[in-house]
Amino acid sequence: MLARIENYLPKIVLAPTTVVMVVCMYGFIAWTAVLSFTKSRMLPQWDFVGWDQYERLFNNPRWLVAIDNLGIFTLLFIAISLVLGLVLAIFLDRNIRAEGAIRTIYLYPMAVSFIVTGTAWKWILNPGLGIEKLVHDFGFTDFEFRWLVESDMAIYTIVIAAVWQSSGFVMAMFLAGLRGVDDNIVKAAEIDGASPARIYWHIILPIMRPVFFSSIIVLTHIAIKSFDLVQALTGGGPGYSSDLPANFMYTFAFNRAQMGLGAASAMIMLFSVLAIIVPFLYSELREKK
Amino acid sequence: MGAIDIINVTKSFGDTPVLKNINLNIKDGEFLILVGPSGCGKSTLMNTVAGLEDVTSGQINIAGRDVTNLSPKNRDIAMVFQSYALYPTMDVRRNISFGLEMRKVPKKERNQTVDRIADLLQISHLLDRKPSQLSGGQRQRVAMGRALARSPKVFLLDEPLSNLDAKLRVEMRMEIKKMHKRLGTTIIYVTHDQIEAMTLADRIAVLSEGIVQQFGTPYEIYNDPANRFVADFMGSPAMNFIECDIEDGRLIVETDGQDYKFEVPDRDVLQKSGLKRVVLGLRPEMITEAKPDQKRQFTQEISMLVEETEPMGADTMVTGLWNSTEIQGRVSPEAGHAAKLNDKHTLLHVDTSKAVFFHLETGERVR
Amino acid sequence: MSHTFANGFNAGRAFIYATLVFFALLYISPLYIILTTSFKDIEEIRSGNLLALPDEPTLYAWIKAWGSACTGSDCNGLAPFFWNSIRIVIPAVLISTIIGALNGYVLAQWRFRGSDMLFGALLFGCFIPFQVILLPMSILLGKMGLANTISGLVMVHVIYGIAFTTLFFRNYYVAIPSDLTKAAKLDGAGFFSIFTNVFLPMSTPIFVVTIIWQFTQIWNDFLFGVVYSGSGTQPITVALNNLVNTSVGGKEYNVDMAAAVIAALPTLLVYVVAGKYFVKGLTAGAVKG
Repeated sequence: MLARIENYLPKIVLAPTTVVMVVCMYGFIAWTAVLSFTKSRMLPQWDFVGWDQYERLFNNPRWLVAIDNLGIFTLLFIAISLVLGLVLAIFLDRNIRAEGAIRTIYLYPMAVSFIVTGTAWKWILNPGLGIEKLVHDFGFTDFEFRWLVESDMAIYTIVIAAVWQSSGFVMAMFLAGLRGVDDNIVKAAEIDGASPARIYWHIILPIMRPVFFSSIIVLTHIAIKSFDLVQALTGGGPGYSSDLPANFMYTFAFNRAQMGLGAASAMIMLFSVLAIIVPFLYSELREKK
Repeated sequence: MGAIDIINVTKSFGDTPVLKNINLNIKDGEFLILVGPSGCGKSTLMNTVAGLEDVTSGQINIAGRDVTNLSPKNRDIAMVFQSYALYPTMDVRRNISFGLEMRKVPKKERNQTVDRIADLLQISHLLDRKPSQLSGGQRQRVAMGRALARSPKVFLLDEPLSNLDAKLRVEMRMEIKKMHKRLGTTIIYVTHDQIEAMTLADRIAVLSEGIVQQFGTPYEIYNDPANRFVADFMGSPAMNFIECDIEDGRLIVETDGQDYKFEVPDRDVLQKSGLKRVVLGLRPEMITEAKPDQKRQFTQEISMLVEETEPMGADTMVTGLWNSTEIQGRVSPEAGHAAKLNDKHTLLHVDTSKAVFFHLETGERVR
Repeated sequence: MSHTFANGFNAGRAFIYATLVFFALLYISPLYIILTTSFKDIEEIRSGNLLALPDEPTLYAWIKAWGSACTGSDCNGLAPFFWNSIRIVIPAVLISTIIGALNGYVLAQWRFRGSDMLFGALLFGCFIPFQVILLPMSILLGKMGLANTISGLVMVHVIYGIAFTTLFFRNYYVAIPSDLTKAAKLDGAGFFSIFTNVFLPMSTPIFVVTIIWQFTQIWNDFLFGVVYSGSGTQPITVALNNLVNTSVGGKEYNVDMAAAVIAALPTLLVYVVAGKYFVKGLTAGAVKG
C-alpha cells in the first residue's frame, strides 16, 4: 500500500499546482474571454452581446490613444534599450577597469519598482524645479523642457524612465552572451585578419541571435504589461494622453465599472503578447530539433 | 543466491520496441556481460532488471522470486553507474553508507561496513572527501564501494570503466575480476567494449536491435558466432567477410590475379546446403605469413598483393583484396616489414580450420 | 572571458572609457538627485540647484515620510504600509519558493507521461499579461472572503509566482544527471528522502536566486496591490503612489523622495548584498520567461 502511494507521489505533488494553473490561469482567461462578450458593468452578468464590447473598445478614442502610445512606447523602448544595452555590453567586455562597479551602476535601476522609478523621474522631469530649472541655473534661461505636461510628449517621458530602468538588464543579458562566445572563434577571425568591428558585426552578433530574441521578448512583455510606471509618472495624463492599454483596462474595469469593456481590452492585450511570443517559441523549439 | 531469470521480457517506448522477447537465465554467481552497439537495448535491459524501468511484458525473477513489479529498493541489487552518480554533497563515507542508512542499519554497524569496504578498495584515506575532490579512478572506486556496502544478491554494472583512461581501465578490469572471484556474487555488466566482454565474462549476451543475437561463453561467441552480426562485432581487428562461389564444397577465392580453391572442414555442410555462393568468415589471425614447416591439412598457401601494412607492435596487419573485397591478415612484424619492401607480392598461409559461413542475405550461419 | 584583440584598437580606448563613465553618471544621477533632495528642506529645493548637495542636511523629510505623511485620507506615513509589504512578502516568497522547488524536482527528475506538457502549460503563466486574470481573481477573492486582506494578496502572489519559481528549479534540477536519482532509488531512498538528502543540500544557489527574484517581484508589485488591497492592507508601492498624489498643502518633493527611497530600500539592499544572484535570476528568468 505504501509503495503504491510512493509511486503516485510525483503526481500528487504536482496536483495542487495543476489545479491552480487550470483554474487561475486558463480558467480565468476563459472567464475573461466570456465576460468580454457580455454587457457586464459593475457585476458580471451573462447577457451576451457578441462583439459589441470590442466595437465599443475600438470606437473609444481613449483606447485608440492607448494603442498608439503602446506602439510608440514599445518601439522606442525596445530599440533604445537594445542599442544602449548592446553598446554598453560590448564596451564593458573590453577588459575594462572597475567593470564590476560600472556594471552594478547600470543594473541597479532594475532592482527598483516602477513606482519608485516613476516617482523619481516625475521629480527630475517636472518643469518647475527639475531639469528645466537645472539648465536655467546654468544660464540657459530660454531652455524649455515640459514634456511631462505636454500631451504630445508625455509618452516620451515614460520611454526615458523605462529605458533607464531596463537597459541595464539588456546589457547584462548581452554581456553574459558575449562571455559565452568561444574565444577561439575570435582568435581565428583575428588570424584571418578581420578588424574588431568586422568581428563583432559578422561573427559575434550573429552568434548572439538568441540573446536578441529573448531580450526583445522580455522587453515587449514589459512594455505591454507596463502599468505602474505610467500610473506613477504621468498618471496617464495630461488628460489621457499617455495612457497605455494596461491603464485603460484598470481604469475601465475597476474605476468606471465597465467590466465587459475592461475584459475586452484585457483579451486584446493577451493576444498581442501571444502574437509575439508564440512565433518566438515556435522558432526556438524548431531550432532545437 | 542470486540467479536471475529474464523471461520473455519486452519493452517499448511508445510505439518503438526496444527489447523484443528477451530470455536469459543467469546462474547464481555468474559474471554475465551484456554487449552490443549503442542503442541496442543493453542499458534498458539492465534498467529493467534494476527496476528503474518497467517492462512492457514478461517477467524477471531474482533468486527464484518474481520481482517484476517490485520497486528497485526491494530487489536486493546494487548498481554502479557509468557516470558513477556519487552524491555531490555527501562525503565518501556517507556516499558508501547511504544505502545502509536508508535501510535503517545502526550507525555503528554502518561505520564498520564502510571501514571494511574502504580497506578492501584502498580508499580509507579518502573517506572524508567530497566526490569533487577525487580523481576519476577514485570516484570509480567509491562507486564500487557504494555498491558493495549492502552486500546485495546481484551487482549491476553499467559501463563502469568507460570514463577511465586506457591504463586505469585495464587495472580496474583485473580488480573487478578478482573481486568477483572473491565475493562470488552474480554480476550483470553492460559494456560496448568487446575486449572487456571477452576478458571478464563467464557468459556473454550479444544484443542488437533489442534481440539477443547470441548467449554463450566468450569462447563460443568468438569461435562459433551465431550470425554475421556477432562475428563482426566481437573481435578486433574485425573478422574478414568474403563472398565466394562454392564449387564441389570448396570455396573459390581470387587474389593477386590467381584463383584458389580453399579446403574447409565443413565441406559436406556446404555441399548439402545447395548454395552457390556464401560469405566466408575468417579471422585475421588465420591469415599469416607462410611458414613452410607448419603446413597442415586446412592450410593453403597463397600469394597476395599487400596494399597496406599497419604495424601494431606485436604483429602487423596486412591488407589485400580477395574477390575484390578488402581483407586483413595478421603477420609477424618481420614479415610485415618484408611485405612493405619486396614488391608487395607476399606468400601467406590461410588456415581455414576455423572458417565460418554465412548466408548472403540473412547473415545467418550456414551449418 | 573578456574579449581582447591583439591588433591595436587602443585609439578607441579613451572613447570607450568616456562612454562608459558618461552613462554610469547618467544612470547614477537619479539616485543621487533623489537622495540629495530627500535631505533638503523645501526652501532649498525651490531656490537651490538640482544637483547641489544639501546646504543644511535635514531628516525632516525622512521622518515625515516614515511617520506622518498623508497617503490619501490617513496621515501616518509609510510605516504601516512598509510592515504590510513585509507581511505580504515573507509568506508569499517562502510558500511560492517551496512549491516551486518541489514542482521543479518532479518536473526534472520524476517525469511522467504528460509532465512535459504540464510544464509547457505552466511556462505560459510567465507570459500572460495579468490584466487578463484581474477581474475573475477579484471575484474569487471576494467569494473566499479574502478581498482587501493580506492573506488574499499572499495567495495571489503565490499563485502567479509559481510559474517562475517552478521554472527556476526545474531548469536547475534538469541539469543534474538522472543517474543520481536512480542511484538513490537503488539505495532505498524514496521520493521525499531523495529530495531532502540528495537535492536540497545542493540547492542553495537556486534557492537564493529564486528567493531574491520573488522578493523583488512581490515587493515591487503595484498591480495586484492596487487592485486587491483595501485601505488598511495596501503594500508600500500603493502607499507611495498615494503619498505622491496626495496634495495637502504644497507639494513636498523632499518627502516624496524620502518615501521613494524607503520603498526602494529593501530591494536595493538585496541588490547590493547579493547582486550576483540577482543578475543570475534576471538572466535565467529572461531566457525562458
